[in-house]
Amino acid sequence: MSWLPEAEEIARRRTLAEACGGPEAIEKQHQADKLTIRERIDRLMDAKSFREVGKLAGKAIYENGALKAFEPAPYVMGLGKIDGRPVAIGGEDYTIRAGTGFGSERRKGGQGGFVEDLAYEYRIPLVNLIDGTGGTVNTVKRKGYTVVPGYGQDGFERSAQLMGIVPVVSAVMGTVAGGPAGRALLAHWTIMVRGTSQIFAAGPPVVERAFGTKLHKEELGGAAVAADTAGTIENVAADEEDCFRQIRRFLSFMPTNVYEMAPVVRVDDPVDRMEEGLLSIVPRSDRQAYNMRKLISMVVDRDSAFEIQASFGKAAITTLARLDGYPVGIVASNPMTGGIVDVKAARKQSHFIELCDSFNIPLLFLVDVPGLLIGPESEAQAIMRAGIVQRYVLGQVEVPVFTLLVRKCYGVAGGSTIDRKGLNFKIAWPSAHWGSLPIEGGVKAAYRNEIANAPDPAKREAEIEAELRSLASPFRTAEAFAVEDLIDPRETRPYLCQFMEAMQPRLRTQLGPRMKAGVRP
Amino acid sequence: MSMKEIRSEITGFVWKIVKSAGDAVGEDDALMILESMKMEIPVTPEASGKIAEIRVRESEAVTQGQVLAVIEA
Repeated sequence: MSWLPEAEEIARRRTLAEACGGPEAIEKQHQADKLTIRERIDRLMDAKSFREVGKLAGKAIYENGALKAFEPAPYVMGLGKIDGRPVAIGGEDYTIRAGTGFGSERRKGGQGGFVEDLAYEYRIPLVNLIDGTGGTVNTVKRKGYTVVPGYGQDGFERSAQLMGIVPVVSAVMGTVAGGPAGRALLAHWTIMVRGTSQIFAAGPPVVERAFGTKLHKEELGGAAVAADTAGTIENVAADEEDCFRQIRRFLSFMPTNVYEMAPVVRVDDPVDRMEEGLLSIVPRSDRQAYNMRKLISMVVDRDSAFEIQASFGKAAITTLARLDGYPVGIVASNPMTGGIVDVKAARKQSHFIELCDSFNIPLLFLVDVPGLLIGPESEAQAIMRAGIVQRYVLGQVEVPVFTLLVRKCYGVAGGSTIDRKGLNFKIAWPSAHWGSLPIEGGVKAAYRNEIANAPDPAKREAEIEAELRSLASPFRTAEAFAVEDLIDPRETRPYLCQFMEAMQPRLRTQLGPRMKAGVRP
Repeated sequence: MSMKEIRSEITGFVWKIVKSAGDAVGEDDALMILESMKMEIPVTPEASGKIAEIRVRESEAVTQGQVLAVIEA
């Protein structure tokens, strides 16, 4: 006598769970260019690595003591591997009542729940594949009473707690509103799929009721709004496969938790590679733009760059990459928009700096910034406050910071690329120049009286400008050791790689959660 | 073959138009150069093809998001 009948019953119920919401609901999901949660997990995780937990959870209907019908819980989760490392993963099953909750004793996931407890207890990354619309008024009828929001087994406490301990990724893979939208954003990095996913506080029906405006869900919360315009979501995937590729890419830069070092991944790319193109990539005219992403690609390990939030705050480029296999967070100016820091770029940079520091990833600033964006529109968005938040966040980092002055470095924005608290290590290219404010603007202000009293004010202004310019050569600053080095641009890669290697001992001494006090301005 | 709208990334002026309708362009070729905040900013199609339309004139003010040209990519 053995327990074989029960083992067979378990197998049978597991098969029932795999049916998700049934063939029609699955077909409807596919028609909308969306995969089911089971398909998504299968595509994302290492082959055969997914161990589902709670597969038997759901609504069972019995007839004469035997199971007649079974509706699986609308959330699938468990433990798997990504690139050989353990990861906790979960997501709503949209094919079952749009992924809405079913009132289990213990939540599986979606907002706290077992999968988040797993990530916390084992100190492993959490990936949320979000595809649910959240709270529904149906619950009132089912329960027979209303509940205060935040009621239930889990609120966002665990989700918030995870933010200091393990990498948390959220992929918005469908129409996401309310609670699940909130859950999506308690993450270190977020991604959505262009065209098939949207995220908003509340969807079109609620918006129409409140404002009388009829909007399509793409207009209200599609990638063009949520990612490109608002920066609510960082990255955008072309399709679900691209989404999984990007998730894997992001996690490859992260340690498993804050107590471990991020993985070092070497490729066949010599440390002493000196690109001739670096000598001419910056135009001799300050007015001309150049391709900073191309500059980055000539310096970092081949094909190692993974850009974060490319479509938002385009005045800055925030990229994870590798130097000699070591992960590095690059914050670069974008000369295509003058490198001028607006509120969006300041916000984006602040978040990225904090992300890298939390996971003990050093920072490299590639600087070509003339200042913060001035003018009435920018002031109306509190540019100086946004700019100073970046300074504040940088002032709190514990990772080594490397500043490479490529061209302009002026003002509060320029100063916010330098790590005064740490090594304060600035190296410059010959194309670089710097100051509190650019000479053109500064001369008129500082020498106002002298210029006004001169017989030919315009000539006097030009004379003073010329004199100051002659003193502005980076060679003079280097002579004074007011900049730590002036280098041949072609040496950039070997120079940086050597220091990246040398800073690893420091990184090993400061593993663990970052303790921070103070209030952001 | 599809029509691709090339939109301005910035608010500024059209300083120089360097290509014409009918010209073939590579993804990194500048169609025109905008000027803003004292910077010369090249506008590239990021896809190779043929210019179908140039929708702006030199010295014209442009806003972020405005369609500058249309490419048959």
